[in-house]
Amino acid sequence: MTPRRTRFYLDKQNGKFLGVCAGIADYTGIDVLLVRVAFVLLNFATGFFGGFGLIAYFVVAWLADKKPRELDYEDREDRKFWQKVRARPGNSIRDVRASFRDIDRRLADVETHITSQNRRLADEIEALR
Amino acid sequence: MGPPEFLIAVTAILTLFVGLPWLIFHYVTQWKKNGSLTVEDENLLDELHALARRLEDRMSTIERIVAADSPGFRPSVRDAREEEFELPRSTERPTRTRRREH
Repeated sequence: MTPRRTRFYLDKQNGKFLGVCAGIADYTGIDVLLVRVAFVLLNFATGFFGGFGLIAYFVVAWLADKKPRELDYEDREDRKFWQKVRARPGNSIRDVRASFRDIDRRLADVETHITSQNRRLADEIEALR
Repeated sequence: MGPPEFLIAVTAILTLFVGLPWLIFHYVTQWKKNGSLTVEDENLLDELHALARRLEDRMSTIERIVAADSPGFRPSVRDAREEEFELPRSTERPTRTRRREH
């Protein structure tokens, strides 16, 4: 199976036990602490042993794969970007387009500046003759 | 068991074991169809995102160079990475927030 950005993986590096809660946090962008608190509350609500929470935890830990190395994020912005892709793919595609337009606009600014400057330079050379 | 009770039992069982899963799977498939990217799309998005970030870096470098050469030039935005830690992006980039709304 090819590694994919939009699949759920266990996050063993940041995990406390098997990395399920850290994986959920990494997948959704919710804070790890919140995920863990929610998990513990769920366990209290359903009863620890024979309850839903622990069974679900082990089933998920058994079914999901460890996160492959090549999917490690470059930095925080990269991580945020992919969390948004998982939540709303359409929006993130529009964001990428927006950043391309932003670059286009900035490049146009620089171009205008450089060409106008060069024209002034050419005018002054012309005046020196 | 009288006929009405039997009917109630059958309807309950049908609702619980056929209707409900059907409803859930219906919405799950619909959600998957709308919300997920194919592998190709995902790779493409990955590439475009990386490209956009590289171009943005280069753009910042060029803006810095031009600004250092000529004091008259003012880049309209600052370095993207500086923004990230100081201010939320919305206050810095009017073009982005406008598009994000719709």
